[in-house]
Parts: sequence; structure tokens; C-alpha cells
Amino acid sequence: MEDNNRNMEQQQKEEPVSFNSKVVTIGLVGGLFWSMIGYLAYFLNFSTISPSLILSPWAIGEWKERALGQWVAIGVIGLVSILVAFLYRAALVKFSNMYVGMAYGILLWIIVFYILNPMFPKLPNPLELDRNTMVTTICLFILYGVFVGYSISFEYIDNQQNKSRGSSS
Amino acid sequence: MPEKNKEPIRKKIKENEEYLKDRIGIGKSFDLGIRKLSILNKEVQFYYCTGLCDTTIIVEIMEELMELDSSQRLTTHLKKVVKNRLPHQQVQVAKTFDEAVDRLLSGLIVIFMDGQEEALIIDVRKYPGRPPQEPDTEKVVRGSRDGFTENIIENTALTRRRIRDERLRNEMIQIGERSKTDVCITYLEDVADPDLVKLIKEKLSAIKIDGLPMADKTVEEFIVKQGYNPFPLVRYTERPDVASSHLFEGHVLIIVDTSPSVVITPTTFFHHVQHAEEYRQAPLSGAYLRWARFAGMAAAVFLLPIWLLFVLQSDLLPGSIDFIGPNKDSNVPVLWQILFAELGIDILRMAAIHTPTPLSTAMGLIAAVLIGQIAIDVGLFVPEVILYVAVAAVGSFATPSYEMSVANKLVRIFLLILVAIFKVPGLVIGVTVLILFLTRLTVLNTPYLWPFIPFNFKSMMQVVVRVSVPLTNYRPEITRPQNKKKQPV
Repeated sequence: MEDNNRNMEQQQKEEPVSFNSKVVTIGLVGGLFWSMIGYLAYFLNFSTISPSLILSPWAIGEWKERALGQWVAIGVIGLVSILVAFLYRAALVKFSNMYVGMAYGILLWIIVFYILNPMFPKLPNPLELDRNTMVTTICLFILYGVFVGYSISFEYIDNQQNKSRGSSS
Repeated sequence: MPEKNKEPIRKKIKENEEYLKDRIGIGKSFDLGIRKLSILNKEVQFYYCTGLCDTTIIVEIMEELMELDSSQRLTTHLKKVVKNRLPHQQVQVAKTFDEAVDRLLSGLIVIFMDGQEEALIIDVRKYPGRPPQEPDTEKVVRGSRDGFTENIIENTALTRRRIRDERLRNEMIQIGERSKTDVCITYLEDVADPDLVKLIKEKLSAIKIDGLPMADKTVEEFIVKQGYNPFPLVRYTERPDVASSHLFEGHVLIIVDTSPSVVITPTTFFHHVQHAEEYRQAPLSGAYLRWARFAGMAAAVFLLPIWLLFVLQSDLLPGSIDFIGPNKDSNVPVLWQILFAELGIDILRMAAIHTPTPLSTAMGLIAAVLIGQIAIDVGLFVPEVILYVAVAAVGSFATPSYEMSVANKLVRIFLLILVAIFKVPGLVIGVTVLILFLTRLTVLNTPYLWPFIPFNFKSMMQVVVRVSVPLTNYRPEITRPQNKKKQPV
């Protein structure tokens, strides 16, 4: 019994750390993966917006529009995505529903395309976007939102269940 | 009739005989019979079901009992002596007719003795069947060549041979009001999630049906809700080594008598894209094989829709690959060409299954040369259609799970039609809806797209690259194992 209790205490100490590190990996991988898909969509001309959009506020030379710039941008999106994941963790972690993740994705799209629009000189007014670009980017943001949101919530609820199971036994 | 079920065995053997003749139709059905002997001046009856029992053992048992007259005094207690002299390890005592009839029809012999309210049941079953063979659908270059058979006893034995653990549980229940099919739930008691075992047991015992002639498939349809979803929700395997390795990971197996495939639960999408072959090669080679397979599967789903999109909207084609796409104009719309070719491949495949081998060679020749080449010459198909449909078909043949390859084909046709109608938005929204649909899907409380969504880094790495066995210390989290470590590291 005593041994059991000690195990539990150890777990409780470790768990918040491991949960946060999981949020970091979910954010990082989500950002990298979906921006790579975004690059693929840009390559196949489904969308006129490429990952390098994120570099456009900085005037750092011509290379940022070429392949190298795209890959650097994908890395930057991965890092920014960690912040986005923590934002979800802080605000919405308790919703296990996938639709919350979808809504989070749509919210992010609105933030990037409307609210942060002035930051990106190359981004046209959302109403002037062509249909293909609009559909592709919204779908990507929805999938990204579900990936980050659902994963974090699932992990959180799993942790909670493990804890309650540990204490009941 | 429920009142029959509790009918006790009576003392007078004639009454028992009358009752059984009426209940199971001895004399009407040729395969049920009685052999009557007189032992120690009392009548003893053997009930048997021909075809399901081993005659040599029965003869041996009878010989032993016939000897009793010469060696025992008449006053001896008949049941004790008979029971003591049965040369077999599996002897049970039945007190009700229900139990006796149940066993008799499974192929065991039942011995009634005059003046006894009990019957002895001896397991002399010998079912018609084949020896373990390598399963056709899961062949490997290296590795064990035994496969599950139609006999549930042999199947549990093949698993037990690989797991001699005292904590391996084989729980048998019977399903089917008339067929009384044996169904076995196999799991490691200190590893598998007890909630899952409970859930499966509840679902199995809730099944009320006449019989399970389609065995595991019928059981599957009762425990998971398939609906109109084409994706396979459980994994089947005919390989005992695959089944055992899943047991070690904390999965629960459902073995159904009369089927050579075993149901593995819980299953996710990514369980259907792995193959035993990968674990038989060096990790790097295994990883390469797996990547090749993934590429094949991705081609099976996405290649045709994307190509069709570029045919319909050639301005989208990136400059670096603008040599693809039809160079000739055709008389038939490309969408219809693709759909006809898809249909043709499926008809050909089904024809090949039913055709005997000597004829199927000729059929392959006709299909390849006559239909393929001449359809192009006539102008029905453009060559690219044949190429891409063939690549997609080979990709779906490379899918380890047959059920998954059929589901992928349906998804491909769905995307093709969307592309033909809505162009880019059709493809993008189609893929998004597909991913969201699969994410929403849960099978036995397990998310279907795990470990991709919800994301689990460690397990995803094991899907993407093949990690060598000494380095995988933990069981996958998806089975919610009670005991998380595989190796004490």
C-alpha cells in the first residue's frame, strides 16, 4: 500500500512536465506537417499562398520566395505552432470534442487572414482571394486545428483518467 | 423450450432413452446413434455423433469396460467402477439432459448407466479439418509457416505454444441459439485493459442469433457499428505469430470456431498498413519496405484524382511536371475512361478468383493484350489512363489488408467524382471530410486515426520507421495496458 502511494506521488510530480512536453511535440509536429502539406498545395497550384507568407513581414531578401525560404518558413511555422498549441491548452483543453478543434482552426484562419492581414504585405484582402486558395487554406486550418486541439484534449483526458484510476485502486 | 433445459437425468435408463430419442431424433437422423452394452448385469448406453468423434478411442474405452465383467464382483458400485476404468483424461459428469445433449452434438460421447441419475461425458472429438498451413493472404519470405485453421482448439493451441504465460486467458463462451458456436476471448490478464475485456464480453453475450455460419465476420458486425463506412474496424489475421505479438501489446483477440482468421481488437487505421514481413527484415530494410508500401497506398488513393484534376484544368499543372497528362485527344471523357477501367479491373479480379488456375493464365493474356492494347488502338482509352489505373491497382494490391484496399478504392472513386464535378475545391474538401470522418470514428472507445490524430509521437515514430525490438520498451498506449513495460529496462 505504501509502495503504491509512493508510486502515485512520483507520477503526479512527473505528469505535468510530460504533458507540457507532449503539447510541445503536438504543436511542433502539427505546424511542420500541415505547413508541408500547405507547401505541396502551393506546388500543385491549389493555393496561391505558400508557407513563406510567415516571413513576409521581414524584408530579408529574395531567397525567402524560393525553395529554401519555404523550408525555413515551415520551420518557423513549427515554432509558432508551439505557441498556438499552448494557447489551446490554456483556453480549451477541457473540450474533448473534435468540433472544438475545427472551430479553433477556423478562428485561426480568421485571425491570420483578417486581423493580422496588415502584417502581411503580400496577402490580398480576404474577399479578393480566389475560390481555390480560400477553400484550400480554410481546409488546411481546420485540419490543423483538429490535429492540435483534439490531440491535446485527448492527451489531457487520458491523463485525468489515469489519475482517477490510480487513486481509486 | 426453457422447461426442457433443466430436465434432470432419471434413474431408469429406458426413460432416458425414450426422452433422448424424442428430443434429438435418434433413428430419424442417421448421424446419431446408441450402442448398448450389458456390464455387471446393468445396461450401459453409449450415445455418439458419427463423423465428429474418433472411433479408435471409443473402441478402446468399450474394450476396457467389457473387461470389467471378468474382473469385478457383481455387487460393486457400477458408476464408480466405470468412471475409474475409463482410459481417457477428459471425463465429465452431467446431471441434466441439456448438458448431455449439448456435448453429444459437439462430438463427445455420453454414457448412461441404468440406475444412475448422472451421465459420463468423454471428450473423443475429432473434427474434420486441415492441418495448419501458411495463410494465402499473409505470406512472408521468412518466418513461421503455420496458420490458424478452422478448429478453435488448434487455434488456441497455436497461440499457447507461443505464450506459455500463466496469465494468458482463453475464455470460452457459446453464441448462437441453434449453432452453439464456440467463441474464445484471449488476452493477457495483467496487461489487457480490463474495461475493454469487460466491454467485449458484454457485447458478445448480448448477441442473440440462430447461428454464426460466417463466424468472425458476423461477430464483428455485432461488436462494432459498421454502418455505411467501408473502412475495416477490426483487424483479421491468420498468423499465430501476429496474433501473439498483439497479445503482448495488450490487445484482446476474439477467436471464433470454424474460422481460420482471428479478430484483433482494438484496431486503428495504422494497424492495417503493417505487415509481418517488415518485422522479419533488418530495421532499415523493414522501414524501407514500409515506406514503399505507404507510397503504394497513397498512390492508390490520390494519384488518379490528382491526375484527373490536371487533365481537367491543365493550367494548374506545375511547370516542372507538365509532360504528364494526355497528349492525345480522346473520344470518351477521361472520368468515364477511368471509371470503366476501374470496373474492368474489378471484374477481372473477381473472374480470376473463380477461374481454375490453368484457365486463368489464358484469361490474363486476353485481358492484358486484347482488352488493354486494343482498347487504346481503337481509341477508347488514352494510354495514360491505363498507366495510372494500373499503378493505382498495384498500389491497392500492395495494401496488406484486403478490406483496407477495397475501402481505399471506394474513397478513390468518391474523390474522382468530386474532382470531376467541383475541381480543386472538390478534391480538397473531399480529403478534408475524409480525414475528419476517420478522426471522428471510434472503435471500442479507441480513436481510429490514432496515433496520427490524436497525435502520439512515440507510437507515430513506430508507424513511420520500424524500430528494432530491443529498443521498444513500452507497449503502445492505445491498448491502455495495465503493465506499461515490455522489457524491464
